[in-house]
Amino acid sequence: MRLAQYVKFREEKFGGVLFETRSEKVFTLNPTATAVIREIASGDEATIATRLKDRFIGQGDAIEREVLAFVAELRQRGLIEG
Amino acid sequence: MTGPAAAEAEDLAAPLYVAWQITNECNLACLHCIEESGPGKAFADELDRDQVFAVLDQLLDSEVPYLSFSGGEPMLHPHFFAMVERACERGAQLKIETNAHYLDPANAARLKALGVKAVQVSLDGASIATFGRMRVRGEFDRVLDGVRNLRDAGVPIEINFSPASFNMHEVDAVVDLAYELGAYSFYTGRTMYTGNAVKAWRHLEVTEDQYVAFFNALRRKTEEYRGRMRVYFHEAGLLEELRYRIQHPAALLIVLPNGLVKLINALPFICGDFRRDSLEQIWARFRTAWHDPRVAGFVEDLATDPGKTRTLHQWVYL
Repeated sequence: MRLAQYVKFREEKFGGVLFETRSEKVFTLNPTATAVIREIASGDEATIATRLKDRFIGQGDAIEREVLAFVAELRQRGLIEG
Repeated sequence: MTGPAAAEAEDLAAPLYVAWQITNECNLACLHCIEESGPGKAFADELDRDQVFAVLDQLLDSEVPYLSFSGGEPMLHPHFFAMVERACERGAQLKIETNAHYLDPANAARLKALGVKAVQVSLDGASIATFGRMRVRGEFDRVLDGVRNLRDAGVPIEINFSPASFNMHEVDAVVDLAYELGAYSFYTGRTMYTGNAVKAWRHLEVTEDQYVAFFNALRRKTEEYRGRMRVYFHEAGLLEELRYRIQHPAALLIVLPNGLVKLINALPFICGDFRRDSLEQIWARFRTAWHDPRVAGFVEDLATDPGKTRTLHQWVYL
């Protein structure tokens, strides 16, 4: 799993932004979403799923569902691949 | 967790997009050129090599994710490829906006190797006669060869079309041609009454009825090419667009060849100077400048005097 080819990520005070530069769409990220993207953007692809699980799973059902839904949304919007 | 296009400039630490007109020199003298570019039209005070790279490094240090180099003709800039290399190697997504006259196979391959995001080519007609009328000194066949060279090199291609009274009837054919040439995107909007267009307006002017037919044709083309090539267009008039921008400034800086920074291309306001100011200072001033009453005043004047756009090159320093 990695950011798609034309997607850029930048951290901000409020969290972060994802910029899909082909469609020129900007997505704002809250701190939790930023933490997920940071893992995806900076990590070893082979271990990203494990690291996301270690970081977020077990922190309560709500956050686990939120992270899984977010990753699915990223994939559906073409912002991540692999 | 996310919201598309919801990032307001005021909340961001730096711009998300910098559109840099790296030179005003151009091999063409287009009838509608907003920048009044042309042969011998480089600004006398364009940034030198050290200044160019100092600006570029500031943008990259601040993680500006998306840059475009335009002109004039950007490939005429003496340090064009070195700038492309610096931007790409440091991870920015870079778009080149060119007239395609210098896209021989070697240059196209070089752009691919350096990793540009896309090359946008202006194609204002589907025939030599129509294209040549808009792109004075332009060579239609050379443009097509240039785009084919991009396609063969594997560089993503965007095609841009500027409407005029004499080329609108070819828009369907230009969209088809863009697809045949391998473009992934086709874009058009309304031609602005500014720059060279002021003098040539009687040749260019498009009526509202013509625009209605034009945008209807584009809607059909959008559907025809859905899933194969993105056909999109900006239908709103300038006044509507600027009124929206005052409320929602895009996180976009327009940098001129001499380092001055414009608030937006369609307004005359200057909010910084890279020869003197840091990006941080310019970004802070950009965000407050949108609240300057002179900006709102200029925009509202356009409601009663749309021709005021002819003064966009009379810069106003905020």
